[in-house]
Amino acid sequence: MRLFFLLFMVGALFALLQSSVFPLLLSPNWRPNLLLILVLYLALSESLFRALIAGLLLGAIQDSFSGTSLGLYISVYLFIVLTTQLLSEQFNTESRPLLLLLIAGATLLQNILIGFFLAFFATAAPPFHLFLFAIPPQILANIFVASIMLSLLLRCQRLLGNRSGLAGLMYQSKRHVS
Amino acid sequence: MRELLKRYRFLLLAVILMLAAVILYSYNLRQKTATTFFERAILTFSAPFQVSIDEIVDGTKSTWKNYFWLVDTRQRNLELVQENRSLRVELQQVEEITLQNVRLRQLLAFVDKLDHPALPAQVIGEDASTWARTIIIDKGSNAGLSPGLPVVAAQGVVGRIIKIAPNSSRVLLITDASSAVAALIQRTRTRGIARGRSEYLSIEYALRNADIQGGDLLVTSGMGGIFPKGLPLGLVKSVEKDQFGLFQQVVVTPTVDFSYLEEVMVMVGGDR
Repeated sequence: MRLFFLLFMVGALFALLQSSVFPLLLSPNWRPNLLLILVLYLALSESLFRALIAGLLLGAIQDSFSGTSLGLYISVYLFIVLTTQLLSEQFNTESRPLLLLLIAGATLLQNILIGFFLAFFATAAPPFHLFLFAIPPQILANIFVASIMLSLLLRCQRLLGNRSGLAGLMYQSKRHVS
Repeated sequence: MRELLKRYRFLLLAVILMLAAVILYSYNLRQKTATTFFERAILTFSAPFQVSIDEIVDGTKSTWKNYFWLVDTRQRNLELVQENRSLRVELQQVEEITLQNVRLRQLLAFVDKLDHPALPAQVIGEDASTWARTIIIDKGSNAGLSPGLPVVAAQGVVGRIIKIAPNSSRVLLITDASSAVAALIQRTRTRGIARGRSEYLSIEYALRNADIQGGDLLVTSGMGGIFPKGLPLGLVKSVEKDQFGLFQQVVVTPTVDFSYLEEVMVMVGGDR
């Protein structure tokens, strides 16, 4: 319960940053998606059940701060959680470059999924080229912010000790301890 | 006599010296510009000492002014820098308020022309995604707003409220792909639907033979039941007619620059 309360607070803070602070500093395509990075991190470090609940919660938060209807980001984040859980069994998620590559992949997947859902379910989808042009800058922005966040997490972990595993960093996550 | 001289010799000497001094003074009064040997000697002798003393005094003064006095100067400098900063901030605030005042005057003038009661609101956030075009304003149900109310700016239509909270609302911009506004070309009264295309608008269902030209003003037709008639939507940027087909492709640039939107008006009721 504590984890989900914390998740809710962090998710709401990230959504606020994305809707009120980043628009003042960055053009739309260059705004990083902090919630996506958080979802990916949780998908790598938590159990499937907890990661799914986190994806549901963070997707609902993102839906509340964007678009017109609830459910789009919930679907997208749940799909990303599932895909990441499957992939994390195959790859060494301790590798930092691989983690950043996963973030790039997740950004790409997110845009494809949103394009798909909007094209098939919405009354009118935004022009397709909008997604295409947005993908490269978004990938770069997400990788840049994710690398900063990972460095900060690493510092925090050094301060707090390695009692909580952090995926993709020096210490293996709880889930990956053999 | 000798006894007398011997007795008052010091007194006599003093009187003689005094007389000599008076005579010397009296003589020198007439020789103002002439420098005596004595004066020259004294000046020559004292000059190096005076220079040294002067240098020492200057050095001391300089040390005092440049070091001890500097401590105070530095403090004063810091105070002045701080004062300068606060004055600059105040100046910026005044400039900001002046600009806001200009914008609000334009907005009020626009709403006055509309003849509809309107509520001013501040834009406090944008959409957290890149594909949707919505904004968040600082007025909600507590201010009497409800979903569906039209939102305008001084330049034209902004959008309509789609979600409401007690103290904030989400506004769907006319450029969002899910937005469709009943519109007409002001010059020719040609009707169509203004559909959002993220950065611009397009007119759907504009018949192929309809007279639409670049630069034409697109306004709301009032048919949709949300926006009053005659509000500016955008200017026609380009018109394309395919070889076949019933309709023409019309691209419209919105009159409102959504990237610089700060204040809006929510139209809260019918005609006044």
